[in-house]
Amino acid sequence: MISDNAKKQIDTWIAKYPEGRQSSAVMEALKIVQAENENQLSHDTIQAVADYLNMPGIAAAEVATFYENYNHQPVGKHIIRFCHNISCMLNGSDDLIAHLETKLGVKTGEVTKDGLISVKKVECLGACVGAPMFQIGDQYYENLTTDKIDDIVDGLK
Amino acid sequence: MADIKIEIDGQIVNAKAGETLIAVTDREGISVPRFCYHKKLSTSASCRMCLVDIEGVPKPQTSCSTPVSDGMKIHTQNDKAKASQKAVMEFLLINHPLDCPICDQGGECELQDVAVEYGSDVSRFSEGKRVIAASDIGPLIQTDMTRCIHCTRCVRFGSEIAGMMEMGGTGRGEDLKIEPFLAQGITSELSGNMIDVCPVGALTSKPFRYELRSWQMASVDSIARHDLTGSNIYAQTYKGQVKRVVSGDNEAVNETWISDRDRFSYEGLAHENRLLAPQIKVSGQWKEVEWDVALDFAVKGLNKHVLNNRKAHQLGGLASNTATTEEFYLMQKLLRELGCENLDYRLNINNLEQAIELASNIKLEELESIDYALVIGSNLRLEQPMINHRLRKAQLAGAQISAVNVKAFDYNFKTNHSTVAPQEIATLLAGILKCILEKQSIELPAYLAHVSSGELSLELADKLLNAESSVIVLGEHIVNNAQAAGIAQLVTEIAKRVKGATLNVSMTANALGAQHANFVPTSSGMNANEMLKADMRAFLLLDVYPEYDFHHASSAIEALSKEDVFVVSINSFNNDVIAKYADVLLPMAAMYETSGSHININHDIQSFKAVVQAPEEAKPAWKILKVLADLLELPGFHYENSTQISGELAHQSVHEHNQNSALALNAKSTKIETIWMHSAYHSDVLLRHAKSLSMSKIGQTNIASMSASTAKELSLKEGDYYLGVPVDITSDMADGCVFVSSNQATMGGLQ
Repeated sequence: MISDNAKKQIDTWIAKYPEGRQSSAVMEALKIVQAENENQLSHDTIQAVADYLNMPGIAAAEVATFYENYNHQPVGKHIIRFCHNISCMLNGSDDLIAHLETKLGVKTGEVTKDGLISVKKVECLGACVGAPMFQIGDQYYENLTTDKIDDIVDGLK
Repeated sequence: MADIKIEIDGQIVNAKAGETLIAVTDREGISVPRFCYHKKLSTSASCRMCLVDIEGVPKPQTSCSTPVSDGMKIHTQNDKAKASQKAVMEFLLINHPLDCPICDQGGECELQDVAVEYGSDVSRFSEGKRVIAASDIGPLIQTDMTRCIHCTRCVRFGSEIAGMMEMGGTGRGEDLKIEPFLAQGITSELSGNMIDVCPVGALTSKPFRYELRSWQMASVDSIARHDLTGSNIYAQTYKGQVKRVVSGDNEAVNETWISDRDRFSYEGLAHENRLLAPQIKVSGQWKEVEWDVALDFAVKGLNKHVLNNRKAHQLGGLASNTATTEEFYLMQKLLRELGCENLDYRLNINNLEQAIELASNIKLEELESIDYALVIGSNLRLEQPMINHRLRKAQLAGAQISAVNVKAFDYNFKTNHSTVAPQEIATLLAGILKCILEKQSIELPAYLAHVSSGELSLELADKLLNAESSVIVLGEHIVNNAQAAGIAQLVTEIAKRVKGATLNVSMTANALGAQHANFVPTSSGMNANEMLKADMRAFLLLDVYPEYDFHHASSAIEALSKEDVFVVSINSFNNDVIAKYADVLLPMAAMYETSGSHININHDIQSFKAVVQAPEEAKPAWKILKVLADLLELPGFHYENSTQISGELAHQSVHEHNQNSALALNAKSTKIETIWMHSAYHSDVLLRHAKSLSMSKIGQTNIASMSASTAKELSLKEGDYYLGVPVDITSDMADGCVFVSSNQATMGGLQ
């Protein structure tokens, strides 16, 4: 379930914590395993990570379902992580998400037919000053408008 | 902790510095509402319901997580405290469905109670409520997670008490759900306690679903008798039926937890196989008759077969280990008055010459403070859940625990586990004793001269020697070891040398009661196995089910079925096997239906009343035995209630058993050894008839575990059956032995 390469990477994280506290590496371990599994986590991969770190499956699942960084459904090559917390919402994120959904022809949580883009609503990304905003990869896009969104999305390959 | 004084609502109270405020208010009887706080669980302070006002602190504080300090002034009832509590209540009710009329928790719901006091009658929340799809987490617990208020008591119970984190909170914010991760649902042997700790109707008893309201039932305190703990329970009854069992509090026994076995066994009481009327066999045909006819038939039969011819030595008395102490006492008195010394409750032992004699000289509470335990031959978690719980607490407090078993059992705490074949246990212990004696520079007795101490012996000897306080626990898997008696003696000897304690869990239920009541043969009488081989003319049986209870199941059935053997069988349940050999069937009251006492591992004599009346014609066994004695014209049976029997029993001195003073080890077995254990939910007749327990994962256990080399030797493979039980080949097993954990009868099995 977990490749040797992934295990090697996880081990470097385990080594950062005191002995017997290997479960502290759960976030990185989930990330590493997710990267190897088409950018998503299944019930079985979460259990495999938990087994590897000698922790209960449910404890790993708590982490995997709490953070937005982990995907539990198929995702596209690019994930548009749209903030919908209070600052963005007050600045119109609901309408912008609706616009994005219409433009792409998918609902949040779904992937476009060509597998290029998926949209995900996420919790506050700490960029309220530029609300409304979303994140694609490592890049933040702030002060969004419908036109701006069209430009960004059209530029995605 | 220093004694301090604090002021709560203008009242000065004493407290210890550092204890939590809620512990103080609880002690003083000051009511502070709470949901997530539970005195036996860690503090999560997540529900916020226990907010109180502390002078000098700007914001209200949660009393479950606030340590008290000298001079603290607390207001639990002022405007600020009330307003905060009310606000929290309003938040909690946002998503909580107002379905109390169809909720099983209605009437005993902490949320309902607190809402009455603190809630508003009008909700300001007009948005949609959160709904969580129903999920099935097993046959014991009913979930309705839409009602969950995320107090996490069940989650903390799982990780902190049950030792297996099965429930958890997935998702985030309003998507947070409390659920198990595994599709198999909840499997802990203590899972039912989650029902007790759940403050709302999210987790309720599945067998009890939609049965009744809590206020319709009478709650009677009682004692659970399925194991050596004798957990304190409340049996809740309605119209003469036990409808539910919940845990009672007794720090010295079960704290506030009970095993699922104790909680759900009551379901068996209403099983269709209950024996409800006296029956006699006339020319091979069973006939339901009145009590006096049946008793007369029994007495005449006994007279004809044994008593008239002064053949009391050809009468045998056998009882199940679940009988009450009073029943054991009365039955042995009856038999002994008749001049019969053949009586036994030890039915599951292959060789009674090798019966284990071992003291239990440590109390349950004391187990928590030991620093080393050596567990031999026990899957403690399933066999004695509450004893296991105490050891787990010791381990969490830093104790080391070693387990020596045929199989690497799944303990719910950290153990140093060694798998050792049954044939090697005695050698191992002899090795330990030898190491200890050598280190203490004590001359070796002859029987240790040729023993060589292996690595494991050295390691365990060191651990025992280094421990300040240790305990050796000897379990049920040893009872049929060819060297069982020697093993018990070695354990006693080792414990004496290291000034440690011993705990004998090689028996269960009320076996200690049987010993206390002298329900064992003296040297002039025959034990259970001898009776099976002897030329008997009659048997008196007390709740015996030979196909499960006897080690020599088929020999027992054969012995009882012999022509011209008259069998008076007092039973709570009927079945085809009994019908074949018995001549008279007398229906007895089952657990919960009779008064008496149970003796637990602490040697506490815990007495209990009948919670409900026995159904139809069934009578408490002590009454049946009393009347039988009267009809047999025996003196001294003028009892009006079971308490009089207990009183008489208290003045009875217990016979000392002949301890073999010189330790001589029996030759070890060279063949493949089989350890047959009934699965935890099939260990007595009531449990075997409890429907929901049988459906649970533990109740479904039916495997014969063996190592690959053992399987090869037996020419078995995965998918085959061993003694009628599916084979499981595993690296967890020692070689040269098979461990069977089965929900089936031992019939056709071991001989």
